[in-house]
Amino acid sequence: MTPTTSPQPTARRATGTRATRVLGIVTLVMLGWLLLFGLVLSPADIDQGDAVRIMYVHVPTVWLAYLAFIVTAVCSGLYLFGKRHSLGFDRVAGASAEIGVVFMALTLISGSLWGRITWGVYWQWDARLTTTALLFVTYIGYLAVRGLDGTRERRARRSAVIGLLAVVEIPLVHWSVRLWRSLHQEATILDTDLDVDIDGLMLFTLFSGVIAFTLLFVWLLLHRTRTIALDDLLASRGLDRAIAERRAEVSSSSPSGGGS
Amino acid sequence: MTSPDLSPRPVEPVVGRRPRRVLPSLVLVAAILAGGVVVTRFLTSAVDYYCNVDEVGLRDGCDRDRRLRLQGTVTEGSVESDGLTTSFDIEFDDVTIGVDYDGEPGGIFKECIPVVVHGYFDSSNDRFMGDRVEVKHSDEYVSVNDARLTEARESACQPSA
Repeated sequence: MTPTTSPQPTARRATGTRATRVLGIVTLVMLGWLLLFGLVLSPADIDQGDAVRIMYVHVPTVWLAYLAFIVTAVCSGLYLFGKRHSLGFDRVAGASAEIGVVFMALTLISGSLWGRITWGVYWQWDARLTTTALLFVTYIGYLAVRGLDGTRERRARRSAVIGLLAVVEIPLVHWSVRLWRSLHQEATILDTDLDVDIDGLMLFTLFSGVIAFTLLFVWLLLHRTRTIALDDLLASRGLDRAIAERRAEVSSSSPSGGGS
Repeated sequence: MTSPDLSPRPVEPVVGRRPRRVLPSLVLVAAILAGGVVVTRFLTSAVDYYCNVDEVGLRDGCDRDRRLRLQGTVTEGSVESDGLTTSFDIEFDDVTIGVDYDGEPGGIFKECIPVVVHGYFDSSNDRFMGDRVEVKHSDEYVSVNDARLTEARESACQPSA
């Protein structure tokens, strides 16, 4: 007879699955591909020289940050306006915002290094840089709000409102170079005249970077969302344990309790 | 049956717990303050980052008697340096202004490239005295190996739009 096993409270729970492991390997391969093209095979620019290679990190990181903040907004909306107010959406929103903030910081760092080489300055308070800084600070505030005291539902509700409001800054950042006079160059690919003024191999490398970083985003999002879910599970287990302790107190203090 | 005692129980203080509760509030306050600074900088600096060369004395905020950020393309053949000062002309829409800059401009400064020069007009010689030069490169990316290199170089000195 095979012994039956009940779920153990201490059973190992991991954030990885077979699918995420495959995704992780594909992401690593794509990042290696990006390194090969970005540092070796793609040509230098006639004006910027090898400094143009910073673009292969700078553009994908800002794309990823935008994508992450849009995912945060969509999940915030699904949490706020969904019938079930599922905390699963809130977890994805929070995880996505964390990833977005990290990659927005990388955008600011890589942009400032690129600016030093091409413009001659690390930073300038022009329209693009200033609105990007505002976007970054806004999502740091969003993460801070998520960490404030309150019930799980209350925190989810107030952060969802901020997640929906903050996302409107993205078009402002993107169009800032058109709306105002900026030191930052205008968009090369996502511009309105659809005239893509970039060498073919540079464009290919740039798209490779966008794909590699998008895969990285999905991989990070899956793991971070599951980590937050495990944190929530741990918290609810603490509550379950406390309730069990109270019940045990009652049963041990009652005249008929303590045994059968 | 006795009902469970649901009153809060004394909890032993946990080392390091208080800072975890305070940290998000501190970060939030810092983010709000930083946001205020950024918005202020946006309103005072970013909205009108520069004046084009042809707007000096004509456009509101581009008066000759105030500190300016001047945008134009470095005129071909105009760059001269004596080791201490770099002199060059910048033009925009057929208007040209002479610039004197103390030192060597940084970035990818060269002829035929758009720049933003920070400084003021010297009333004695009508030249613009720059104390910072920022190179405003275009949104075009051309390979050094490209067959269109000559064409790109020839078109590089067209006045910026």
